[in-house]
Amino acid sequence: MNLDWGIIWQYRWDLAHGVGITVALTVLTMLIAVPGGIAIMMLRQSRYRVLRGLGTAYVEFFRNVPLILLVYWAFYVLPILTDIQFSAFTTGLVALSLNVSAYNAETIRAGIASIRKGQLEAALAMGMSHSQAMRKVLIPQALRRILPVLASTWVSLFKDTSLVSVIAVGDLAHTALQIRSQTFRVLEMLTAMAAIYWALGYPQAKLVDWIHRKYGVTE
Amino acid sequence: MSASLKPTAPAERAGQQPTIAYDGVVKRFGSLTVLNGVSAEVYKGEVVCLIGPSGSGKSTLLRCTNGLETVDGGRVLFDGGVVPSDQELIRRVRQRMGMVFQNFELFPHMTALDNITVGPTTILGEKAASARERGLALLDKVGLRQKADAFPSALSGGQQQRVAIARALAMNPEVMLFDEPTSALDPETIGEVLNVMKRLADEGMTMLVVTHEMTFARRVADRVLVFDHGRIVEAGPPEQIFENPQQERTRDFLGHLGWNG
Repeated sequence: MNLDWGIIWQYRWDLAHGVGITVALTVLTMLIAVPGGIAIMMLRQSRYRVLRGLGTAYVEFFRNVPLILLVYWAFYVLPILTDIQFSAFTTGLVALSLNVSAYNAETIRAGIASIRKGQLEAALAMGMSHSQAMRKVLIPQALRRILPVLASTWVSLFKDTSLVSVIAVGDLAHTALQIRSQTFRVLEMLTAMAAIYWALGYPQAKLVDWIHRKYGVTE
Repeated sequence: MSASLKPTAPAERAGQQPTIAYDGVVKRFGSLTVLNGVSAEVYKGEVVCLIGPSGSGKSTLLRCTNGLETVDGGRVLFDGGVVPSDQELIRRVRQRMGMVFQNFELFPHMTALDNITVGPTTILGEKAASARERGLALLDKVGLRQKADAFPSALSGGQQQRVAIARALAMNPEVMLFDEPTSALDPETIGEVLNVMKRLADEGMTMLVVTHEMTFARRVADRVLVFDHGRIVEAGPPEQIFENPQQERTRDFLGHLGWNG
């Protein structure tokens, strides 16, 4: 077999640009989806039934729809519904954020449920409102507890951003697949893609483990 | 300090409005009636200890006082007004009552000092610098100024409970509610918490204390309420309760504890 690994070096700047887009998508999605998850979790705990129903509907819908379908939907249907044409990058960001927010909402809800009742009571007994107790006492503790789960979500997200390549966002997957189809170097490009995703994903997972050890709450 | 030096008997309070009044309070958990028509008054500056067997309703009554539990019958009055069940209205009552829990319930993600300042800064809108200064003074008062930057996990049980008392005091409460404050402590740290509480009592704080520490109740309480099966079976000054109990149930209970006066 005739392999040409030089192709990777030759296209290094394109690949690096793709990595940049992938990292940007991951970071921006998480920046939206953590507050988004908190907001949806709060909806689900609202004292108004309509809001609770909305929150539950959101989570159940976006958790159970394939992400790739969501990406296509945001690309083809959303512009028709809203009359706004986003760039491919923004469209991908919207689809990913909708999906990851739903997961984060559930994760944060579980984190808050794991905190013993006395903590909320201590906050309320001082005279805090329910939302002050959430903001100052429950959410900060919950976020520390669920850090390992958020870390897994983060690493999954990092890889799942590859799905936006189907709407031609120039991320790592899209770039690598483009190079493949232009050069017919299938094995080399797929191997390079795997190596780059792994090399970037593994340290991220380790970094979050470390953050967890350093900032985890001890009782 | 002898308890008899303080004005104690409700008769001496004639005409004065009680700080807290329980009027036929009923509380049920499912089919279990935990409080079965409890009536009592607590006056300003009084230390009232609630004693009785586990499950007799004393902690539940304490929790009805600041609305952590809602009553199913009767009413709880604070400063002449009914303690509301509305979540917004009750906040104003809670801000005037401090509560100390059996398991401390310090916020584990905050330092000792932050535990104390979070209430005043969040709820009362006090400036951080002023809250910090008061917080340090309160830590001083409970003998833990050097632990200001320590997290709860680095403190002993007794130290955590003293921080919890300082945290409650930071809101400048008119009443302090203590729910078995020493029950989760190692025997050697119980004394330091009781000393802080005794000093508070000496300063004239109005206190309701659910406790199994009979020596504390005997020495510090102005009045003792004895609970059994959701009712107050006997109420009176500690001399009466511990030396000359009028009710069989009181004698039984104290006898089981090995109390012999």
